[in-house]
Amino acid sequence: MEMAGWAFVAGFPLALDRRYEAETHMWVLVTEPGRARIGMDPVGIETSGTLAQLSFAPVGTELAVGRPFGQLEAAKFVGPLVSPVSGVVLGVNDAVAANAGLAERDPYGAGWLIEAGLDESGGELAGLLADPAEITAWFTTKIARYRLEGVIAQ
Amino acid sequence: MSEPLRVIDFGCCPPLRSQTLWHAIGYGVSAGAPAALSFVRPAAPYVCVGYHRGLDEVDLEYCREHGLPVLRRMVGGGPVYLDADQLLFQICLPAGAVSPARQQALHLLLEPAVAAFRAVGVPAGLDEDLEICLGDTKVCGHGAGQIRDAVVVCGNLIEQFDHARAVRVLAIADPAQRDQTLALMRRFVAATPVDPVAFRAAMTTAYAAALGLDPVPGQMTGTERAALAELDELFVSDAWLAGPARRAAPPAAEPVARQVKVRAGVWTLSATRDGARVAAALVKGRVHRVRLYDRGLDGSTGQAEQALIGLPLTAVAPALAAFGDPGRRLAAAFGAAEPGRL
Repeated sequence: MEMAGWAFVAGFPLALDRRYEAETHMWVLVTEPGRARIGMDPVGIETSGTLAQLSFAPVGTELAVGRPFGQLEAAKFVGPLVSPVSGVVLGVNDAVAANAGLAERDPYGAGWLIEAGLDESGGELAGLLADPAEITAWFTTKIARYRLEGVIAQ
Repeated sequence: MSEPLRVIDFGCCPPLRSQTLWHAIGYGVSAGAPAALSFVRPAAPYVCVGYHRGLDEVDLEYCREHGLPVLRRMVGGGPVYLDADQLLFQICLPAGAVSPARQQALHLLLEPAVAAFRAVGVPAGLDEDLEICLGDTKVCGHGAGQIRDAVVVCGNLIEQFDHARAVRVLAIADPAQRDQTLALMRRFVAATPVDPVAFRAAMTTAYAAALGLDPVPGQMTGTERAALAELDELFVSDAWLAGPARRAAPPAAEPVARQVKVRAGVWTLSATRDGARVAAALVKGRVHRVRLYDRGLDGSTGQAEQALIGLPLTAVAPALAAFGDPGRRLAAAFGAAEPGRL
């Protein structure tokens, strides 16, 4: 099934209206100038395992590219949620903090993680995948590689 | 030539250091130090809480009265009671050295521990929940996490286990649930009293072989010693002990519910709602033991309890419906304990 702004790649939905950080599978959706919503795509979630807990840095915390803005726990494994942008935490999704399964069920919607105020330069956004064709190619290649390596199920 | 695997035996250490030493190794490996397999034995008993878990799961008053420190680790899992009869071990690698799939990474990093158990005569296996088990009995607790850019998996050789104290340190208000938790812990968690020296040697052999590394006696690096000082301070701070921002509060104070995980697939729960109270032991999704209370049940409490034994959780509410309004209240209390999340 095809819908505007969406692709379905090897069984995974892919929202094409936002930007992606290729290594961490974090998405960034600019909601207004200087403000963005951040979440994790379904492949990132799949590799994490069944999510048990999510926790986030408090509102007001500075964000830096490559540094954690929170932690996730799955199968007793705690790992960082790595920020794709610099700026500041403007809000956190209390609903997903209370029920981590929301990020699995609706990763592009109600399962968003934090809202960020972006650094004024905005230059980091240019380093993220933004072109739908480029995003689709990356997602396709990544899934194929992960399946070949057994990282995600066939 | 293989990369080195530092093997570091920290010996017997105070509770705080039995945590901070190996966390410091995580900082060091993250900064480029070689991978490490480390061992430490707590010199005194204490309680250790997983990164995300609430302090309200621990009976802090009991711990205070009995001089048990409570520490929070950076890796996952629930609150655990640790003492000198447990040899704690940790394997620490650069994050890039393991699969990005956490289950796969855990599997890779727990299998050598299983091999070590087997090498010292314990025919353990890794079950589908990634628990190290002897039959269906858990013989090794584990937790895992990424500390900066290093992955750490920790576990323990349980030489003796004080089941009663392991349950007593937990905050469990309902006496029936406490009894059920202790019974299940005695049934599903066991010690394996093997020679710890032989176990350390077997662990070293198994991890070196599995990871293709060359085991060498190791020391902490300067970075790790500096991190240790920071971690010693951090771990005793109130802010760290409080944990990350707690999950959003439930919508109402009532009903009161409590779940306790004994091992994967083995839980107890208790809940109260509208005067009805349930305390149940669950094994692999089925009711193993249950205590019910509702004034309206009159003389049929035993019958209702018996009716639930062996049922899958999905069948509990329909079975209780046969007991009229009290049964419906009890079903609501059961539901309030969120058994669907277990």
